[in-house]
Amino acid sequence: MTALTLRLELRRSRMIALWLGVIAVAYSAIIGAMYPIILDNAAAIEDYMKIFPEALMAAFGMTGSLADPGVFFSTYIGTFLWPLIAAIAAIFLATRPVAADVERGWSDLALGTPLGRVRWLVASIAAQVLVLAALAAVTVAGVVVVGLVVGAAFDVGRFAAAAVILWLFASAVAGIASVVGAVTLSRGIAAGITAAILIAMYLANVVAQLQPDIAWLADVGFFKYLATTELVDAGMVPWASVAVFVVTAIVGWAASLAVFARRDLLA
Amino acid sequence: MADAIELRGLTRWYGSRRGVLDLDVAVQEGEVFGFLGPNGAGKTTTIRMLLGLIRPSAGTATIWGLDCWRDAPALHRRLAHLGSDPGYLGEMTARQTLDYLGAMRGIARGAWRPLAERLELDPDLPVRKLSRGNRQKVGVVQAFMGSEPLLVMDEPSTGLDPLMQREFLALVAEARAAGRTVFLSSHNLTEVERSCDRVGIIREGRLVKVATVAALVGDHTRAVNLVLGRPAENGAFDLPGVTVLSSTGQDVHLMVRGDVNPLLGRLARLDVRDVAISTPDVEDLFFRYYDGSVAGSEGRALADARAAAAAAEPREEVSR
Repeated sequence: MTALTLRLELRRSRMIALWLGVIAVAYSAIIGAMYPIILDNAAAIEDYMKIFPEALMAAFGMTGSLADPGVFFSTYIGTFLWPLIAAIAAIFLATRPVAADVERGWSDLALGTPLGRVRWLVASIAAQVLVLAALAAVTVAGVVVVGLVVGAAFDVGRFAAAAVILWLFASAVAGIASVVGAVTLSRGIAAGITAAILIAMYLANVVAQLQPDIAWLADVGFFKYLATTELVDAGMVPWASVAVFVVTAIVGWAASLAVFARRDLLA
Repeated sequence: MADAIELRGLTRWYGSRRGVLDLDVAVQEGEVFGFLGPNGAGKTTTIRMLLGLIRPSAGTATIWGLDCWRDAPALHRRLAHLGSDPGYLGEMTARQTLDYLGAMRGIARGAWRPLAERLELDPDLPVRKLSRGNRQKVGVVQAFMGSEPLLVMDEPSTGLDPLMQREFLALVAEARAAGRTVFLSSHNLTEVERSCDRVGIIREGRLVKVATVAALVGDHTRAVNLVLGRPAENGAFDLPGVTVLSSTGQDVHLMVRGDVNPLLGRLARLDVRDVAISTPDVEDLFFRYYDGSVAGSEGRALADARAAAAAAEPREEVSR
């Protein structure tokens, strides 16, 4: 029954995965194709970048030369495209079983069968994990494949590792959205709260980098940990990022399972 | 016969708002039990507790001795459920929906097909393109496609046209003949009267009456309309349980409660040209339990419904 529900959840995720995947691949492929141009004009671009305050550049992830694959990837994908794609996909997928399906009454039908609440939600979480992994993979693949075609010397293994970090970030967002959805049983409210949390984290990260005396603010959010530059450039695995994202995702999903299994299902 | 469903002191509050209060009822195996009441009376709340979707505030709901909240997945191996407005996924076709829900219940793929044909349901349209009635047909097929010994249905015929309502009642009769237990909530009085062995009438969250349909009808008033050859003498109908509603000499309208034999004995001595005796239906009884004591819009709605029913059924004018 769990496998059957997982298949259904994956099937229900096809359209959002397709459209977000197309957007991610198209954007990342264009960015990948631009890399040789950036590489050829690195000196001129760096001169141009000097007109911006260093802190502002740091706030938006542009620390170092765009000619470095890691900086290039973090700037255009890691801190720009992926948070948007991940937030949309994670919130949509994670609030579906615990909120949207309760609101529309589908959970009454599914849970009117011998399938228990925990197995129903576990199947849905498994679908979230797979779909978010697929989106992270195609996003990175768009940059890497097109980059290699146009002659960029990308390290495929390091980019694959970066895709894992992106995936873990999205999973952490899904964990938060899932527990908020299980508490509120409202997709609209859960999406709003999760989006507000992400925006607050993003602003905290930006402000923390612009104001060194409140640099600690960056520690309370995810965006400090969405760091792929050194991973791509130097092969250094950001274990702190892995830990933060994995723990958040697992705690979020586990909490949503605990809440969903015990609460009244009333839309 | 063993009890299939047992509610003991079942109570549910939504904050300070009443859901149901202190429900005590047992439904026997093989019985078709109707749970009758207007919108907001507490029917759906009761069914959601039976399905383990919400937890009672007090009391217990058990099915074959298993707790409806704690043992919900195990119970769902033995029951099929139909809601009043099932929340199907619009992008799925009826075929996909029924195959999925059937597989979850261990029902062979396509086993729903004969029922779909019987209800004239096109299984290949996405559910979002189906009319309200056709969506409800999907629900009826889904509920009846298995062989679970208990069917729990919340206003199951809502949206069905009269032909399909008749087909639905036939399915309930077949389920009863097969020994299945049916718990059916409704505000469709005719549906309950035609399909149920016993009826529980719920009013403002409380069960006000549980009885067989036959007993409910038999214990209550009958309307008797007489056309006499000549006016009856004064006091001709002074009998226990008999009330003269109106008399124009030869046309007499009576209301009789309880045993009708004394009245029949008296009529034998009169010059009776015509007599019509009508028993109350469940609708009459339902309004009796709601009559005059339901405040606000619900009361007005019931009064309107009663007036409409009275207008449609001339014999009921006499009985009231």
